[in-house]
Amino acid sequence: MKLTKNDNLSPELPNFFQELTASPKIEIPDVSRRQFFKISTIAGGGLALGLAMGTSPKAKAQAGAAETSSLSPYVQIQPNGRINIFSKNPECGQGIKTGLPLIIAEELDCAWNDVDVVQADIDGSRYGAQFAGGSLSTPMNWMAMRQAGATARAMILAAAAQQLNIPVSELTTSDTKVLHATSGREWGYGDFAELAATMPIPDAASLTLKTQDQFKLLGRRFTGVDNMDIVTGKPLFGADTRMEGLKYATYTKSPQIGGRALSFNEDHIKSMSGIVDAFIIDEFGSPKVFNPGGGDMFSGVAIVADSTWAAIKAKRELEIEWDLSDAEQASWDDLVNRAYALKDQDGEPLMTTTFGPDGPSTVAASKGDAEAVLQNAATVVSGFYEYPYVSHAQLEPETCTALYQNGNCEIWAPAQIPQSGETGSAVLLGIPAEEAADRVVLNQTRIGGGFGRKLANDYVFEVVAIARRMEGTPILLQWTREDDMSGDYFRPGGFHSYTAGLDAVGNLTAWQDHFITSTGNDQSPMTSADLNPNVFPKDVIDNVKLTQTMFHNAIPTGPMRAPASNAFAFSFQSFMHELAIASGKSHVNFLLDTLGEPRLANPENPQSMHTGRAANVISEVARISGLDQESGEPGRAKGLSFYFCHSGYVAQVADVTVSANKEVKVHKVWAVGDFGFIHNLSGAENQMEGGIIDGISQLFNSKITFVNGVIQQQNFHQYPLLRLPQAPELEVAFLEPEEFSPSGGGEPSMPPVLAAVTNAIYNATGERIRKMPLFELGYKLV
Amino acid sequence: MATLQINGQTMDIGEIDPSTPLLWVLRDELGLVGTKYGCGIAQCGACTVHMNGAPVRSCQIPVGNLTDQNITTIEGLAAADGSLTPVQEAWVEIDVPQCGYCQAGQIMSATALLENNQNPSDADIDAAMSGNICRCATYSRIRQAIKNAAAKMNGTAFYDAAQTGERA
Repeated sequence: MKLTKNDNLSPELPNFFQELTASPKIEIPDVSRRQFFKISTIAGGGLALGLAMGTSPKAKAQAGAAETSSLSPYVQIQPNGRINIFSKNPECGQGIKTGLPLIIAEELDCAWNDVDVVQADIDGSRYGAQFAGGSLSTPMNWMAMRQAGATARAMILAAAAQQLNIPVSELTTSDTKVLHATSGREWGYGDFAELAATMPIPDAASLTLKTQDQFKLLGRRFTGVDNMDIVTGKPLFGADTRMEGLKYATYTKSPQIGGRALSFNEDHIKSMSGIVDAFIIDEFGSPKVFNPGGGDMFSGVAIVADSTWAAIKAKRELEIEWDLSDAEQASWDDLVNRAYALKDQDGEPLMTTTFGPDGPSTVAASKGDAEAVLQNAATVVSGFYEYPYVSHAQLEPETCTALYQNGNCEIWAPAQIPQSGETGSAVLLGIPAEEAADRVVLNQTRIGGGFGRKLANDYVFEVVAIARRMEGTPILLQWTREDDMSGDYFRPGGFHSYTAGLDAVGNLTAWQDHFITSTGNDQSPMTSADLNPNVFPKDVIDNVKLTQTMFHNAIPTGPMRAPASNAFAFSFQSFMHELAIASGKSHVNFLLDTLGEPRLANPENPQSMHTGRAANVISEVARISGLDQESGEPGRAKGLSFYFCHSGYVAQVADVTVSANKEVKVHKVWAVGDFGFIHNLSGAENQMEGGIIDGISQLFNSKITFVNGVIQQQNFHQYPLLRLPQAPELEVAFLEPEEFSPSGGGEPSMPPVLAAVTNAIYNATGERIRKMPLFELGYKLV
Repeated sequence: MATLQINGQTMDIGEIDPSTPLLWVLRDELGLVGTKYGCGIAQCGACTVHMNGAPVRSCQIPVGNLTDQNITTIEGLAAADGSLTPVQEAWVEIDVPQCGYCQAGQIMSATALLENNQNPSDADIDAAMSGNICRCATYSRIRQAIKNAAAKMNGTAFYDAAQTGERA
């Protein structure tokens, strides 16, 4: 098993992730660097913070850490011999607070029952990039976590050898114990902790990492480290932050996106019971564009009150005068009409950036001569596909707590990019970048669902702006569900006009896609509204023509679980099924023939799809689902889909029954994934199970519309989510080719099911679905 | 001065706007933050608590209507010594939570179901749990956890926690 490098970083990372991972401030630390550990030995006593809040998680960790011995920013040994392992990245339900510490514990060779997991401080100098996005946490940290565990183990062994006066070569470890085979004696790690913390840091090259057959923990099922606190209702989440003198705030923005608050019924609001203050904020940037670290926030009216209810009650009585001169004007129905009018036309050539020895350059994304090949094709198939804007609808509405005093700010946030929350807050507060690390401190809370929504830090900036105005008073900002649903960075809607050609034996020979999307600056698409030019099948066929039309529309958009892929999988893989039908081949054989021989689809790009791994998940899901067997029941059939994104390969089969009145029962979904080595099986299964149902929910019911810049959906009665009675049976399996290190499963688990269900509906009824959501076509999920 | 009966204790809530939903009294006045806000219109179930043993949406119940009602929240399920109920145990053992935000409400609905029906059919589970949204979509495990909890309560089967460490 090749476990030596992070070779699974995603090829389609949004720009902001590229910047994040490239930023010198938050580069991945080299664990062999002496400075890294020099800082870390201070860490047991805690970093000196500008603020001394008694309720701060940092202050608590410091108070409890007085007698501990720090071996690295990731490992402390408590006086009773228990091990603290620090989990660096935000936990939003993806299981990383369990997953990363497990990797450290494996190489540290300790028993999992001896471990207490602690959420790490936000500190790029010690932890590198700390964020939850792009399914990157596992692949980016796989080697660093293993080295952190192995380094601490080597230091314990060195200390034991010195303390016991036994050659280190005679000592081994197992289950948090140092063993001496010759004498049969054993000692707990705690016996050597104090001395170990003073040991020289071993070079990374001197560390011997375990081989896969030596793993005792990794590869098994482990339950979430916060489960006990979750089932007993302990304070874990953003809005659970409590401290002396806390006040509660709401913030109200223009229903027509981008309107600026001019005045409001201030006297009435301030006269209401429990109201502390109410004021307009209108000074911070242009937040229509997704920018997690910019410090931008929309203009609006803040209400600060003695309780959340008093703030919500006053919010309902707000009468605000808005300046709408810069507000959005777009309407979804207008964009739809304009898009369908372009159905049979091409757009502008789609350009793409390539990285050569002389740096990046912009080239056309098309290749070969699709038009000529289409003219000579035996069969030509066309299809126009539509998908809507959707909202993240994470169950925890945006919330954040902040205290501003003496020019410094402490924040408690359920944020997916907390480091950008810190830097953006410093921008908003006018704190110079070089002072930001000392003067802005963000504490991570557990995130009550992210799905990409909390990559944006707008709600962090809002509470920081309110807290600055309320200097010395800690403020908890609570968005209502209505604030959340109408104030999202939405998954953008879009349109694809496909035409493809098959040769006489049914092989795919040419592919054309005219992609229609939205732009706010008339230069480039909105965030997550761009077409990744390498979406399968581009890399595996020779003649591809990609064009694009952008409509001016700056309704805010941002990444949502599997950005772009969450919509492309529906249209691309439904159209691939249309082609399979036209080819006369089985769907499986059409996909396998298109993939061809096992190889990197683009030999120049190590991040591109490996066609052999793709073929394997397709073949395996067809086998376990019995895809080729007829149901024998009227209206019942199975459908297949495959998608590759975020370095993950997933094929899924849905078994559906469609009634005469278009009621759809999804009986079961089979999924086969290849994310390389799976280190926590329960976590990986959870991501796949959740991703499948997330996809089915969006496919049938999710649609956000806007009229003259006003979002029309406000709460779950207008934007229903799938509920337990509609959830299908699930069967999940993983292929784990030994030569590939882990990638992340949170995102690639979701996209394929969209087309698996629509292809199944086609197989059951003969009706081709080219538009999401299905409720608008008369279908109902039961 | 108003009082409430919560988790077997009489709790003083002082002078309070009687229109305040129980949800915000629990969270802001009493520090019982396990009960969650999700929608404020009884659509998502994150705020589910028990009133006299029946599941209710605490975002919809003005505190002024609550005299002489016994309220149980997620914090009141486990025994004084910290031992979990069968429902809580089952939730932990099969690793139901993903983000975990909805799970207090899910557990309160499941607990109420099993108090009245210790052999729930799939249809019974559907009916009892359809008011609780899980955005992470942990529904398969919620269904299984309810069945495992029922088995624990009936003594008909015991879930082998050691299985959680092994490959299927």
